[in-house]
Amino acid sequence: MDKETKDLNPQQTGLSTDGSQFLTFSLGEELYGVDILRVQEIKGYAAVTKIPNTPPHIKGVLNLRGTIVPIVELRTKFGMPTIDYTAFTVIIVVMVQAKVTGLVVDAVSDVLDIEKKDIQSAPDFGNKVDVTFLNGIGKSGDKLVSLLDIDRLLLDSVTKEFSKDLPVAAAA
Amino acid sequence: MSNEFAQFQDAFFEEAAEHLAVVEAGLLELEQHPEDLDLLNKVFRSAHSIKGTAGMFGFHAIGEFTHKMETLLDLLRNRRKAVSPSIADLLLEATDCLKMVIQSTKSGAAIDDKTVQRLAGELTSSSASDSRASAVNVSRENAEPGSGENCGGDQTFVIKWTPPDWLFQRGLDPLQTFKELKSLGVLTGVALDMSRLPDLGCIDPETCYLSWTMQLTTRKDQKVIESVFEFVREDSALLIQPIEGAGERSQNLVTETDSSAEPEAPKLLGQILVEGGWVSPDELDRALREQERVGEILVKQKVVTHQQVEQALQKQRQQESFAQAKRTDATSIRVDTAKIDKLINLVGELVITQSMLTDLGSRFEMRQLPVLLERMVDLQRNAREIQERVMSIRMLPIGTAFARFPRFVRDLSAKTGKKIQLILSGGETELDKTVIESIGDPLIHLVRNSADHGLELPEERLDNDKQEVGTIRLNSFHESGTICITVEDDGRGLDRDKIVAKANKQGLISDSDKLTDDQIWPLIFKPGFSTAEKITDVSGRGVGMDVVKRNIESLGGTVSVKTTKGKGTTFILRLPLTLAIIDGMTVRVGKETYIVPLLSILESIQPKVELIKTVVGKGQLVNVRSIYIPIVRLYEVFASEPQYTDPTDAILLILEAEGERVALMVDEIVGQQQVVIKSMEQNFRKVKGIAGATILGDGRIGFIVDVRGLLEIARHGHPVAA
Repeated sequence: MDKETKDLNPQQTGLSTDGSQFLTFSLGEELYGVDILRVQEIKGYAAVTKIPNTPPHIKGVLNLRGTIVPIVELRTKFGMPTIDYTAFTVIIVVMVQAKVTGLVVDAVSDVLDIEKKDIQSAPDFGNKVDVTFLNGIGKSGDKLVSLLDIDRLLLDSVTKEFSKDLPVAAAA
Repeated sequence: MSNEFAQFQDAFFEEAAEHLAVVEAGLLELEQHPEDLDLLNKVFRSAHSIKGTAGMFGFHAIGEFTHKMETLLDLLRNRRKAVSPSIADLLLEATDCLKMVIQSTKSGAAIDDKTVQRLAGELTSSSASDSRASAVNVSRENAEPGSGENCGGDQTFVIKWTPPDWLFQRGLDPLQTFKELKSLGVLTGVALDMSRLPDLGCIDPETCYLSWTMQLTTRKDQKVIESVFEFVREDSALLIQPIEGAGERSQNLVTETDSSAEPEAPKLLGQILVEGGWVSPDELDRALREQERVGEILVKQKVVTHQQVEQALQKQRQQESFAQAKRTDATSIRVDTAKIDKLINLVGELVITQSMLTDLGSRFEMRQLPVLLERMVDLQRNAREIQERVMSIRMLPIGTAFARFPRFVRDLSAKTGKKIQLILSGGETELDKTVIESIGDPLIHLVRNSADHGLELPEERLDNDKQEVGTIRLNSFHESGTICITVEDDGRGLDRDKIVAKANKQGLISDSDKLTDDQIWPLIFKPGFSTAEKITDVSGRGVGMDVVKRNIESLGGTVSVKTTKGKGTTFILRLPLTLAIIDGMTVRVGKETYIVPLLSILESIQPKVELIKTVVGKGQLVNVRSIYIPIVRLYEVFASEPQYTDPTDAILLILEAEGERVALMVDEIVGQQQVVIKSMEQNFRKVKGIAGATILGDGRIGFIVDVRGLLEIARHGHPVAA
């Protein structure tokens, strides 16, 4: 899967390797960023239909103008405690290899320009913290943004067969 | 070949397939009516079209082979040769071969050169065996200069090109030609000849007065160079001459027959023998037929068993058909323009209705309510009509699936020694494209079965006061919202005793006397069931009928069989009109709504306490007219919150799948409705027990229950239960 991701990355992201615009959003106190070219739309949270027999971070599916779109709850995915949804809770709809997925986040903030020189590789916490879903850490002013590798993040949790996914979900 | 053509190549393959179908159908009919000149012309025209377009796209292998077929067809057309069975056989075989060559070209796979060359040789010798023909043959060859495969190394050609006067009028750019030449190799010494250029005042800007001489050093052969000029060839003065020791292959020097076209490829032994006049093509043919296939030889040497070879062959065929299916997946669909026009009209109406509604809504008063309701009705009607029309775009006449049967039955007839007449009817019945593509194989199985098991040998038929020629009838028609396809034969019918004996032996039934005929016949659809006494390569391995049943059921259809001893058997396939919409029963479990396909529901009951029995502590069964059926709780399978946990409060849907029955426990039946299937895989992945999703009336999503998957979960436990 890694290889595939790498192969497809430059094609799909286009400018993004040099490009530097990120849509940032918050989960608790933390700020995350996704490549803006991957974002299809941002919509308010709407009730989803739960899919039976799927890991807890798969919130369910949503009817997005006639297509069925799976919704991933990022808090659960990252092992954070869940909170009640507020008026700020939104779904960021992203494209990952021609598949559309929605991410539930606490709130969206800005679109930030982060230059390449301001991006450093993800820190290594050893086994304590799993940072494989991060592309790196970006600095913008005094803000620190964790840049998500959504290919890895979503291919891992959405496309993979559930049985293989189970241990991860259980650990989370 | 330059990339500009790439986009047209698909169109070529599609067209070629159509032409091939015409050729094949024409040839088959020609066998019956050898004197029909119109038919011959039709076949000839199609073959010619393939050749022409193949040449244009630079598929020389296809072009050359078709050319040989065409030569033979031309002789038939000019009455220089009569249509004999052997010629028809040869042409049909050549058609198959051409199909294979085109397929290989399309997929970029290697072409089976042996077959191509053998058939090419046969075609040539068949054409040449008539002395009057050779004149025609050679003169045709002159039109297509020999190619000279020059793979060995670079060769330099002198090209002298005087384009036609109308070059610019037709919007052609000579520069394009040069660019393409340049892409072939090193283009040097381009000299422009302006001698024909008139005085400035007399110049017609749309006339081309120029000509060029140039040298091209390339690895490609002359044909490739010529193909560059394909579009401007007409009226051009074109001379392409190889230099440096290859002079003898100049353009107008073609003295040999066609076989010189592939000088690099060594001739086959048989071909040489035939050409030398030592053996006749027929003799060669016979000798070739005595050659055994690898599989047969291995069987003889007892290395493998017959079954193993059969299995391997079947695997090979499966892989082939699978690969083919994969390839054909992306093909386009041809739609009648009238259908599209209608659709556009309807969309126009929809837009009008919408603007009327917007208008009404912007300054709505209560007294306009009747107008609003009226508009809503319009909108509803519009939407429904558009839905129907859009569906009909995917509809194709089933005749396309029938088209391969005349040939198939002809071959079967030859193989089994039975005389078979095939009658096709209802070919105009329209069916979803996906369904048509998927019923091909089941139909083949059924027809093969009818020919092999159903119909008797001619002698046996005569003994039974039947016509010597057996009939297989394929028919299709609409019936109450489904498509019916019947495969009917007038053979010996199913043998009840044999089926019962076999079923007893396999332990499928215990007490045969009590069973009615209608309970016996479906047994033939059980896996591994075949009553054929000997296994032929046509059928009898017992893998046919259960595959048929499974395929049809996976399309949401059913198979049934009617038979009368001594009179014949009829298989009836019932298929849904489309795969995009199903009839579903909407059920509720707790807060969730699910849709159960109506086809799999036998009945629904609210059981009484005394009908529920428990086995081994927790497995529950319900007694439905003295048959005990296991209860599957939907809320357990899908891990949701139910309203009722006691079966006597809830509703049990009795479902049937793969011949097994289960009682699915749900809270409530909401109603019956048609639902549009939305794919879960498009953005997510396959979820066990769920066939797809649909959008309910209130905009929420409801899951469509996959009954088979459900059974599996119920049987083998829950994926999450661990």
